[in-house]
Amino acid sequence: MLYITQSDMNNNENKVLTEAVFYTLLALFSPLHGYGIMQETEKMSHGRLKLSAGTLYGAISTMLEKDWIKALPSEEDSRRKEYQITALGKSVVKTELARLEELVENGKKIIE
Amino acid sequence: MKKNVRKIFFVWEYEKEEQWLNKKSEEGWQLVKATIGKYQFESGIPNEYTYRLELLDKSLNSKESTSYLNFLQDTGIEMVGQCKQWIYLRCKTADGRFEPNNRALYDLTHVLKIQEFISNTKNRLVALIALSICGLLMLDRLETSNLTDFIRGICTGISLSTSFAVLSLYPFSKRINEKVKAAIKELYTYE
Repeated sequence: MLYITQSDMNNNENKVLTEAVFYTLLALFSPLHGYGIMQETEKMSHGRLKLSAGTLYGAISTMLEKDWIKALPSEEDSRRKEYQITALGKSVVKTELARLEELVENGKKIIE
Repeated sequence: MKKNVRKIFFVWEYEKEEQWLNKKSEEGWQLVKATIGKYQFESGIPNEYTYRLELLDKSLNSKESTSYLNFLQDTGIEMVGQCKQWIYLRCKTADGRFEPNNRALYDLTHVLKIQEFISNTKNRLVALIALSICGLLMLDRLETSNLTDFIRGICTGISLSTSFAVLSLYPFSKRINEKVKAAIKELYTYE
């Protein structure tokens, strides 16, 4: 059984973002809909990361719940929703970037 | 050219069913319609589409499912058939939008849904067995007549066949549990 408590949800330190989430957050610095996120991610990673529809849908729903991204208001009959990163989302990206930099730095120190 | 195929897959044979549909696609037969036990194929380019079976959390017409299906449609995934909450999806093989980015996480999500589905089914079946046994016990207190014999027959039939169904679910749910454990183990190494 998985229990997620309030303190778990607030405690984002020491947590590692998935690649899909990290790239989605980056892509959403400008508003995009689902398919746009996929294209942007593929472009940024030079074709390496192809987001699967299921993964992206799960990532978007979770990030909406956590307020890392928001859905932009759209016309009533429009099926396509556009999303954009929030201030909280930006701070999450920053924290993750610092962690990644540490990994890279230490990796280089030992290997090179 | 179109062809109809009748074939029965049990719920727990969903992987076999998916493999069968993808093999048909390799042979140049693309599924265009599906309902319980009935499949309609159209001849087309071999391997043009990849097929996937998914179990929705809620009914097809619910808000959640609609928004999920709209999202899939936007990314080039089509729904070609439906059987209760099971849906038949396809996407162009070249797009590769079914290939999960995190295999373990995907397996876990998928398998937990199926596990929930099985346990709900099992609970209902067990309730049915309990009811028919109660029925049998109550009939014992009544005077025997044609009617009580008839009801007794029905209750016995239901409890026996349902017991068999519950038992046959057992190996399947055991396999699902093993898959859950394997996926969790995988998550220890890979994000």
